[in-house]
This record gives sequence, structure tokens and C-alpha cells, in this order.
Amino acid sequence: MVESVQPILTVPAEVGTPKPNPILVVDCLERSFDGLKAVDIDHLEIERGVVTSLIGPNGAGKTTLFNLLSGFEQADKGRWQFDGQPATHTSPDKLARRGMIRTFQLTKSLSKLTVLDNVLLGAPDQQGERLWAAPFQSKWQQQEQANRQRAEELLERFNLTHMCHELAGTLSGGQRKLLEVARALMANPVLIMLDEPMAGVNPALGQSLMRHITQLAFEGVSVVFIEHAMEVVTGLSDWIVVLAQGQVIAEGPPWKVIHDEAVVDAYLGGQQENRQR
Amino acid sequence: MEFDIIITNAARAAVGPEALILALAAIGLNMHFGYTGLLNFGQVGFMLLGAYGTSVAVATFGWSLWLGVLLGLILATAFAITLGLPTLRLHALLFAIVTIAAAEIVRILVGSTDAIGLTGGPLSISFDAGAFYDLNPYPDGPNDRYGAGTFEFTGQQLWVMTVGWTLVALVSVGVFLLVRSPWGRVLKSIREDQDAARSLGKNVFTYKLQALVIGGLIAGLGGVLDAIKTSGADPNGFRPQVTFFAYAALLLGGLATYIGPVLGAILFWFLRELIESFLRQLVAQTWLPDAIANFFDGAEGIISVGMVGLALILLMLFRPQGIVGSRNEMQLNG
Repeated sequence: MVESVQPILTVPAEVGTPKPNPILVVDCLERSFDGLKAVDIDHLEIERGVVTSLIGPNGAGKTTLFNLLSGFEQADKGRWQFDGQPATHTSPDKLARRGMIRTFQLTKSLSKLTVLDNVLLGAPDQQGERLWAAPFQSKWQQQEQANRQRAEELLERFNLTHMCHELAGTLSGGQRKLLEVARALMANPVLIMLDEPMAGVNPALGQSLMRHITQLAFEGVSVVFIEHAMEVVTGLSDWIVVLAQGQVIAEGPPWKVIHDEAVVDAYLGGQQENRQR
Repeated sequence: MEFDIIITNAARAAVGPEALILALAAIGLNMHFGYTGLLNFGQVGFMLLGAYGTSVAVATFGWSLWLGVLLGLILATAFAITLGLPTLRLHALLFAIVTIAAAEIVRILVGSTDAIGLTGGPLSISFDAGAFYDLNPYPDGPNDRYGAGTFEFTGQQLWVMTVGWTLVALVSVGVFLLVRSPWGRVLKSIREDQDAARSLGKNVFTYKLQALVIGGLIAGLGGVLDAIKTSGADPNGFRPQVTFFAYAALLLGGLATYIGPVLGAILFWFLRELIESFLRQLVAQTWLPDAIANFFDGAEGIISVGMVGLALILLMLFRPQGIVGSRNEMQLNG
């Protein structure tokens, strides 16, 4: 398979640099908690159809940024666009219907629904979710069958087939992470935002999850994920954005970012100090 | 002690009109709390509006009974919408507080002396439910009785029960059809974690409002039947405890199960009447010391409700999923 050189590779590694085909454009975004600026971003663009990872030390504002962009938290100021359309002050469910699907750091698996039902819930535009159509199975059965087939395929990819009819509450922490990713994929995302998808997942499954993520980008889905482990990030991402104290301190392709002084100071430096102790 | 009488009394209550009205309230509550996770403590408000809508339409406005039934159901729907629009975005516990207050507000309003001209105020309102009983196929002469011994009903009672239990069955089937659909799946996802539902594009507010209206309508239907059964309504019949009886029935039977609220309502009235009947007979026993007899005398009803509460506590300890619920499901948290 011959891949053409991705346009993202021609972008200079500078904070706030414009991208050739951005899926997300953020301007002057601010959010404070008790006077402490959790997120303070002048300008940030996320490229379409590639894997972007968001890294930074604990408390850097990564999850808050996710919450703001996906509508789960209100920004103090700022505006952003998703897929060319304004996305400021938009409810999370509306953004999700436009194709911005996110997962959560603390998994939100629906304990008393079966694993299969969890995934089926993700399917978009379901006829049977309308009150008027719901009592009449004939109106939604065909779509439900098709969704079911797709859900079962997804569960198989994430090694959850054997748990299909179990309640999601019986899954282990790692399995719940996978379930959440499967559910998010079921929603046919344009942009998928994964909050620490590898945390607690066993390494073999983590590998397969990563392959899946790269495959997604290859299929044209934009991926942003938060991750702690630097080695995971470098092997997987096309672009890395580094946050520290709510600000973007560096961005660029992996091989450039890991040598960036500011990054080494703020993030890797901190880790190395910890190791020396 | 005549235990056969105690048992037949209890059985009579278990299938009687009160049980089916409670069953409707519990089915509605199951829609709210069991499937959607809405902590509605104002279920009695929906019943009151069903009952008073019917009564006021017929007695005060002089409408036909069927228009009255329609008004009762419209008022229950309107109550759900006015209650839901401002409060469904609130935290679950705040919602619970608002619902109990709202139900009390409507009860105090219809029972106030200013409302005498409209609702009869603190006095009860009564109307002619003849249009309903005209359809009664059971002969209902002064000597017509159905059943045996104390397990006996008049033709009118039997007609109310026939219509009522048929409605309970129809409503249960309706709820079943709704809940097994993808729509029901969204409701349950909201109950489990509404942010997860939101993150997958579900408009949580709309679904909650739909559930609130449907469950409220079912309770309103119970209120309508209550008005028809007694040919009227009384504000004292709609105190907050009615909501808690519905919760008791729902928990006894099994939360988020199709048949649970119906079984629970039957069991609730069976136990209540069983204990009350037993106490009434006990008080009449000559061997019982006077002090004890005097204590129970006249308090049988209250004590029996207390005993049902005790039964509920024991149930929560030993079988928290209710009669037909799944224990595995109950034990999953978070």
C-alpha cells in the first residue's frame, strides 16, 4: 500500500499553527476554576483524518479541554468550530449528532444494560428511538437487525463477543474502556475524542486498540486522544499537542515534539526527576 | 378467630378497585423511576388531576362523563409538562423535592375554601357516573352479588374491576412495547448515566419529558377510575402517602420489571387488608387483655400500613430486587 505524503507533515511545528484541513478550530478558549486557569488556549487547530494526541502532566487541562469542546462544560470565553460549523454553546447531544463523539476518562458504561445494548445505543438516527415508532417493532426491526450485526462485529474486534449478553456492570475496568470505544465507534464519528483509552487495558488488547485507531484515521475519521504514556503516543500519533497549566506549550509531529525543550521541561523533565528520586 | 374471613377479606382487597388504581399509579412510577430514573415523589398529583378533572367537568361544568375523562387525562399531561419543563434539568434530588411540593400545591389548591365553587374545596365533590354504569353488563339488582362469603362484589364493583383490570393489562402491554424498543433502551441509558446518553447524541431532556408525561398519564388514568368508582373526589384522598404506597407496591413487585408494579399493588393491598382484618378480629377476642385491645382498637388501619412498611424493610434486606426482579441486576453498582 502506497500512502501519499500526508499534508500534515508539511505543517511547521509551532504553537497555534494553521492546518491544511482542520476539523476543529479553537480560538481564545478560557476556563477558570476559582481563579485558576484550567484551560487558556489562544489558537489551536486539529487536522482532519489524522491521529492527534493530547499530552501533558496531570492537571494540565486535557480533560477540561475535552469537556469544553464537547459541550459538557461551559467555557468562560472563547469560540470554536467543528467541521466548518460553529460549535460554541452547543449542547453535547447536538454535537454528538453532528459527529463529535467522545469517551470519558472514568468510563461511563451503562451497568444494567447488556454489553450489546450498550453498543447498540451508540447507533445514530435510530427509527425506534422515536416515541411514535417505538411500539411498532416492524418500523424499526430491520434497522435494529443491521445495527445489531454491526455491533456484534465491533464487539468481536474488541474481544467482547463472549460478554455480549452479560450486563455491562460485570465487565472489568479494561473491558469497560474497550466497550466505550466500541460504543463510540458505533456512532459513526466524524471526530472521535478518546480520554485515556488505554488506561487499564491489557497490553495485547491495547495494541489491537491502537491498530484500530490508526485504521480509523486511514478511513478518514479524525482522532484525538488523551494519553499519559509517551511511548504509546509517539508510535501512534501523526501530531502531538502538549498542554501544561492549561496552555498549549508545543505542538508538532512526534519526533519533533519529544525533543522540544519546553516539553522536556514541563512534562518529560518532571517525569525524569521523579524517576531519579 | 375466623381465618377464612381474614383471607377472603385480604383476597377481596387484592383484586378490588383500590388495588388496580394503585397498580396504575405504580406502573406510571415504574416508567418514571424504574426505567428513566426520575425520582418522582408527586405521583399522587397526577392522580388528583385525573380524578378532579373528571369530577369538575361533570359536576361543575355539566359536561358528559367521557369529556370529563378526557379533561382529567389532559390535566395530568399538562401537569407533567409544566412540572417537567423547568425541573427536568435539575439534579435528581432537586427534582424529587419539586415533585412532592407540586403535588401538595395542587391538593391544597383544589381543597381550599376559595375553590368551593369549582372543586367543592375541602368538601368532597360528587357527580353522576351513570354514563359509565349504563354500560355495565352485569345485572345489578339489590340482590345481585358476585362471589362467595365475604369475597363478594356488587355488579357495579365488578364492572369497575373488569374495566380497571383490563386497562391495567392494556397499559402494561403498552409499556412493554415501549420499553423493549430502542426508545426504552435510551430511557434506561438515561437512568444509568445521562452524560453517557448525551455523549451518544440522545436528547436526554426530551426523553425524560416523554417518560414523565407517559407515566403521569397512566397515574392520571388511575385517578379517573378512582373518581368513577366513588362518583367523586376528596382532597384528603390525595395526600403524599398515596405516592409512597405506589413506591411500596413498585418495590415489592420489582423495579423496572413489566409485571412487578401490578403484582406489587396486589400484594400491597392483600397484606394491608390481611393485617387489618387480623387485628380487627384480635381486638374482639375475649382472652386479650383490655390494655392491648384498647391499643389496637380503632388503629388497625394505621398499624397495618406500618406493618406493610416493615415488610418492605425486610424485603429490602433479604430480597432487594422485589418479587420478580433480578438479583444480579440489583447488585451492580456504578
